[in-house]
Amino acid sequence: MIRDERIPADELRRIDDEIRSNWPTGDAVDFDEAIDYHESLPAHKQFADVLENADKPLLQPRAGVPRLDDQIELLEYLHESGQADLLPTTIDSYTRDNEYGKAQEGLEKARETGEDTLNGFPAVNHGVEDCRNLIEAIDAPIEVRHGTPDARLLAAITFAGGFQSFEGGPISYNIPYTKRHGLEETIEKWQFVDRLAGAYTERGVRINREPFGPLTGTLVPPSIAIAIMIVEGQLAATQGVRSITLGYGQVGNVVQDVAALNALQKLGDEYLPDEVVVTTVFHEWMGGFPPDEARANGVISLGGMTAAIAQPDKVITKSPQEFQGVPTKEANASGLRTTRQVIDMAIEQEIDIDGIAEEQDLIERETRCLMDTIFEHGDGDVVQGTIKAFDSGALDVPFAPSDSARGAVLPARDDDGRVRIFEWADLAMDDDIKEIHKARLSRRADTEGRDQSFRMVADDVDAISDGKLIGRPQNAGDV
Amino acid sequence: MSQTVVLGVIGSDAHVVGITILEQAFSAAGFDVINLGVQTSQEEFAEAAVAHDAEAVLVSSLYGHAEQDCQGFHDVLDAEGVDALTYIGGNLAVGQDDFEQTRETFEDLGFDRVFNSETDPEEAIAALRQDLQITTTEAERATISS
Repeated sequence: MIRDERIPADELRRIDDEIRSNWPTGDAVDFDEAIDYHESLPAHKQFADVLENADKPLLQPRAGVPRLDDQIELLEYLHESGQADLLPTTIDSYTRDNEYGKAQEGLEKARETGEDTLNGFPAVNHGVEDCRNLIEAIDAPIEVRHGTPDARLLAAITFAGGFQSFEGGPISYNIPYTKRHGLEETIEKWQFVDRLAGAYTERGVRINREPFGPLTGTLVPPSIAIAIMIVEGQLAATQGVRSITLGYGQVGNVVQDVAALNALQKLGDEYLPDEVVVTTVFHEWMGGFPPDEARANGVISLGGMTAAIAQPDKVITKSPQEFQGVPTKEANASGLRTTRQVIDMAIEQEIDIDGIAEEQDLIERETRCLMDTIFEHGDGDVVQGTIKAFDSGALDVPFAPSDSARGAVLPARDDDGRVRIFEWADLAMDDDIKEIHKARLSRRADTEGRDQSFRMVADDVDAISDGKLIGRPQNAGDV
Repeated sequence: MSQTVVLGVIGSDAHVVGITILEQAFSAAGFDVINLGVQTSQEEFAEAAVAHDAEAVLVSSLYGHAEQDCQGFHDVLDAEGVDALTYIGGNLAVGQDDFEQTRETFEDLGFDRVFNSETDPEEAIAALRQDLQITTTEAERATISS
């Protein structure tokens, strides 16, 4: 039975040998040589140090193209024209499915035709040397961003290739991304990823790990996201990770977003071991975007404003072309500059907003209910607790495509646009908290002159792309 | 008497929000809903339709590959002996295709009704009621329009 225990060193070596034989580029990984390589990198490329020592929120976009030269050119552009502080390398979908053969075909076709035949950078196919060519070409730290349920080989190659930050986790890269991977399976695979990051950490190379906070990106109640971040942080800490960045995706209500980011940092510090440095990342709105660039810039700006008030350590920016998919490099850089402009204008202002402390208190109480149920389900073991709590529905994520989660919880916005829970299903929560949500949703129903129903959920899902925060009926009171 | 509908997203598509809303809407309208979730194969639709003696099979697709995913779908349903209405909805074609042309394509594939991504759940429910010749009670009508 899998538990929250550190993988022994000999087991780490055995799995490492096994997974590196899955693709020819795995041969080039040499752990001791990789430690020397990381130590040779200048201070401004040491990801964890740069992030943890920043005095204002650092900005990072999303970006990945198949060819090495193109990826270098793209990241240079985002660094210079977008003033990105931290850079990403987003991995293609075939690699996320461990289909390295198909990724190879795509990469070769991209090299022949010059077209972007993959939707990201196939780092496993590029191998250790080309990863290092990328790290050396760019004058800033770079993180691996993906969505891979089994990221063991990707981690082995990119860590040896000089990357010092790695997104994802066993819940956050399972529940929102795939239907059929069991939680036990992804937890086991991510224990290896974290253990490998921990092995580098033990040797003085702190690999930063970043659980994916936005989850399904669709009206996720803050406490559910925070509980999952804490669990993934705990699992990583057990394996020896010492730099952990917990994530949260903007819901669009400024008070709730600031409260959630405050709670995320506070509870992260409280629940994770003292030797872990906990930082936070704020993702600009992950749901549907308005279909025109001017309005999309409005959404991005509200994210910048929220970041200026809450001051997370990092902000993942969106582009004004979000609606249509992968943005041009110019649009990507403009999302960075818009965010930077708003943050820099607002960050030195003292902005006091009523209600943040109260909302933060509610989020913290809800998160503790969820953490308590996880510990109870696992009899003190967070791995078993997570598996069993998802199984019983005591822990759940709205709109989860995975068979590992019920996906029975439904959120809706209240009259102030804060995300509340409309359908609790079997989620473990104290009754007095449920009453608070019910009362807030009831106030909205009164305002709109309609019953609380799934229609509110459906309307809220589309609201921001339609130009509003709350999905009100067209003619409120007349429906 | 409640009637059963089978609902799912076909192919390797993982867009879950739409069918979650549809599940709620059809349940609220009094149907028994078997939600197969995302990434559902043609065979899984057919097996569920047989197992639950479904009146209708509702197929969702949002990632643009619906036409490929639905090739031969009605042959699979026929082979399993499924006698149900079939509806499909979502973003059914990549790019700026004319929807009437898309409708024709999917009607030719054998679907009884074809909906675009702008369709409200109520419209699909009303269509199904009409096709199944269900008369709505006053109480249900009030629920639907609220």
